[in-house]
Amino acid sequence: MELKVKTVNRIDGFQEALYLPAIFNGLRLTVRHFFKNLFGSREVVTIQYPEEQRHVSPRWRGRHRLTRRENGFIKCVACYMCETICPAHCIHIEAGDHPDLSIEKYPVVFDIDELRCVFCGLCVEACPKEAIRMDTGVIAMAYSSRNRFDYTRDLLKDTYRPNKETKYTDIPLPKTEEEALPNSRGIPST
Amino acid sequence: MEELATENKGQNLESEMEDQADASVMTIEIGPAHPAMHGIVRFTTQIDGEEIVDMIPEIGYLHRGFEKESENSKWIQITPYTDRLNYVSPLLCNIGYSMAVEKLFGVDAPRRAQYTRVIMGEISRITDHLTCLGAAAMEVGAFTFFLWFIKGREYLWELVEEVTGARLTTNWTRFGGNATDIPDGFLGELQERLEKIKDILRECDTLLTRNKIFIDRVKDVGVLSKEDSISFGFTGPMLRACGIPYDVRRSDRYSVYDDLDFEIPVGSVGDCFDRYLVRMEEMWQSISIIEQASDKLPAGPIAIDDRQLVLPDKKQVYGNIEGLIDHFKLVMEGHQAPAGEIYMPTEGGNGEVGFYLVSDGSGEPVKCRVRPPCFNFVSAMPAICKGGYVADIVPIFGSVNMIGGELDR
Amino acid sequence: MNEIINIAINILLDPFIQTILKIVVIIFMFVMPLATVLTLMERKWSAMIQDRVGPNRANLPFADNFRGRGALHIAADALKSIFKEDFIPRGADRFLFTIAPYFGFAAALSVFAIVPFAAPIGDFTFQITDVKPGLLYIFAITSLGVYGSVLAGASSNSKFALLGGTRASAQMLSYEVFIGISLLGIFMVYESTQISVIVDGQNTYWFGNLIPKWGIFTQPVAFVLFFVAMIAETKRAPFDAPEGESEIVAGYFLEYSGMRFGAFMLAEYIAIVGVSVLMVTLFLGGYHIPWLHLWESAPQALVTILQILKFTLLSVFFCWLQLQIRWTIPKFRFDQTMALGWKKMLPVAMANVLVTAIIILLAN
Repeated sequence: MELKVKTVNRIDGFQEALYLPAIFNGLRLTVRHFFKNLFGSREVVTIQYPEEQRHVSPRWRGRHRLTRRENGFIKCVACYMCETICPAHCIHIEAGDHPDLSIEKYPVVFDIDELRCVFCGLCVEACPKEAIRMDTGVIAMAYSSRNRFDYTRDLLKDTYRPNKETKYTDIPLPKTEEEALPNSRGIPST
Repeated sequence: MEELATENKGQNLESEMEDQADASVMTIEIGPAHPAMHGIVRFTTQIDGEEIVDMIPEIGYLHRGFEKESENSKWIQITPYTDRLNYVSPLLCNIGYSMAVEKLFGVDAPRRAQYTRVIMGEISRITDHLTCLGAAAMEVGAFTFFLWFIKGREYLWELVEEVTGARLTTNWTRFGGNATDIPDGFLGELQERLEKIKDILRECDTLLTRNKIFIDRVKDVGVLSKEDSISFGFTGPMLRACGIPYDVRRSDRYSVYDDLDFEIPVGSVGDCFDRYLVRMEEMWQSISIIEQASDKLPAGPIAIDDRQLVLPDKKQVYGNIEGLIDHFKLVMEGHQAPAGEIYMPTEGGNGEVGFYLVSDGSGEPVKCRVRPPCFNFVSAMPAICKGGYVADIVPIFGSVNMIGGELDR
Repeated sequence: MNEIINIAINILLDPFIQTILKIVVIIFMFVMPLATVLTLMERKWSAMIQDRVGPNRANLPFADNFRGRGALHIAADALKSIFKEDFIPRGADRFLFTIAPYFGFAAALSVFAIVPFAAPIGDFTFQITDVKPGLLYIFAITSLGVYGSVLAGASSNSKFALLGGTRASAQMLSYEVFIGISLLGIFMVYESTQISVIVDGQNTYWFGNLIPKWGIFTQPVAFVLFFVAMIAETKRAPFDAPEGESEIVAGYFLEYSGMRFGAFMLAEYIAIVGVSVLMVTLFLGGYHIPWLHLWESAPQALVTILQILKFTLLSVFFCWLQLQIRWTIPKFRFDQTMALGWKKMLPVAMANVLVTAIIILLAN
């Protein structure tokens, strides 16, 4: 395509110099908005948080969770992939021997410092076992104590509560590994 | 640094005092915490009555060490960081960085990825201009204009969230493609929201563009000539307002912009009024680009099939050992970029956002330098403001659209 | 018992006591409630203009989190300004700094001294005092308001405040001139500066009983000029360069906090009510309801109530209009405010006086 140039139109003529026409046009507009919002349907995008909550996208990257096997044991095999790729270095893993010999390893310690986390989602992409996901729909973590942001393994495992106000209610928990397969790069299918 | 600043101040004061022996020059500090300084920057301003005699910009209040941090990260780990460079159009920086790395590898993203990048990038450009013009208008007193624009930006950010999973911290592009495809029904919703944006643009146009009070505030305020703009290294809407049709989308012909038909709005005088009009017109052009790109959007993959660059599909990772090995190698060792150095300019919201990358063949960059458009604008602030009134700093700085994240990095 | 009632009636009939009572009633039942409600309404109405929600979070924790759609913010604001630290910056002139807020406050309140709210019943007037100079009193008293801004700016020991104070003094002194000149036409048409004469003059009609001779019809140009000049005089947007919240932060009251800041804010809203009241009195027939004199058998009490109602409603309308204008248009730069006054409004006002004079001459 060739380069097309358009010179912007600077309107500043006699009608503008009178001040009043433009002010009346503006007033007509603001008065219309005023009465529309006073009597009619309000066109506001503001949300009365926390009474009402927004429907966040299914792809929303919220707080992490560790998924579990059918027997309730976490899927994580302590491969350190998420810890390696994390740009914020907020994941800390210590591996231990799994009682089930076919699984070999599991994380004795799996800490995520949610204050350091930048919510980029690279850990979810890097995980080869579908063990960590960010689909809890928890959009805000607000605590008065700093150490409550250090999410340990059991906190990440046990506090999965689908947010009733979000679209996550529609997504059932994956039961089998086949079901847990995302459509692309760790994002659950809607 | 502190000493140097004081020293400079002293010199300027002295020289000014010599020029006007009996004038009383007063120094006021505009910023770092000042309502007109969105982002954090300080202007030590010397005024004679209401007139600006001299001005010293001081930057660095938002310095986070992006470039140094990048030297200790893997290539992919820098992508989330680029969201935070320009916090009103994060996707444009995302795309710019990923395209730079792709250029280093010598690959191109698939057509569908390119087109979705164009759509998302132009959405980001609209949010950038909405924020910039809204804030600038708010500071000259048009508060309603600002809040209507912010309402429009909200519509678009929800769309960004639908695609990327976050409103601001998008981290959407990868090397050789995008992290996610646009969801089903996205294009329809996009069209609906664009109609709303058009309504808002029309309304705000009525509210402000022909209002004499606004025209008085911005017309012939903050004029910088063509020659000065070029020598200061201006790009983007600031340069186009002077009448120079330089747009990286056209001059560098990157991505699929060559297939799309759009006009480059230019001004004639180079004052704040031209910058306002150019940005307004650019939003209309961006809307047209999005509509064209939505029509032309091809089917196909969203990432290239190259195990050196793109993580294998999860099915491959779970299902066969090769996929798992590729996955492990890419994550643990990082992207093995060939040695060399490249510079990739892209058209950001404010102007040319360029990434200069140096690689030594290992998984980590040797250097990742950002060319931020705002740096040149802020360095030109004294030249633009001198001779104007104190109140002129407000529309001038609004039209400059300084983004602290880019400026200080 | 009868004696006590007689004494009470005598006290009430005493003109001095009556005046005191009128002051109390007008200030505490009309001005202050309206101004206080305006502080909230400015935020709620601007929210409606801007597609927002507006303040609605202040609640009563002990009464089931009662919110009253934001009405409690008035109480919250009052409590906050009372209990906040009353900060006096180092190097400030303590005496001037302390008294400055109350100049503007007093000047804003003084406007209501000569405004009639309803037609007099016998000797009793619904007006605190009907001074002979009339509007000249208003010109005199509003210029006192300049002292508030200038003293606040000069005594704060802050450069931004100083700039704001300078701007305020120049702007307010200039616009005094235009207020005066724009009203000259009104004085000529109604042949007096006394408020009661002007208001009664607006109760006459053209063409039999067709069109009332309201100020807005006899002096339409003066209506616009006076409205603009009064907004500038009260330093409201779009003429709020003295406050200049984006370039000189808050201008002359930058260093104020607590109740003194509250005094500035309240004075601003009282001034809004003052402007509205003057607009209604001078240009919209004051308390007179058009064509009501045709209903000759109307009971006196009903007429008075209707008159007060009309006056109040129109005043509220003008308050609303001022807020609507404030949220619609951008602000003038300081030198543009002055240019508008001296280069545009002054010639127009002069021409208006001239044309009015010629028409009156020809008509006689």
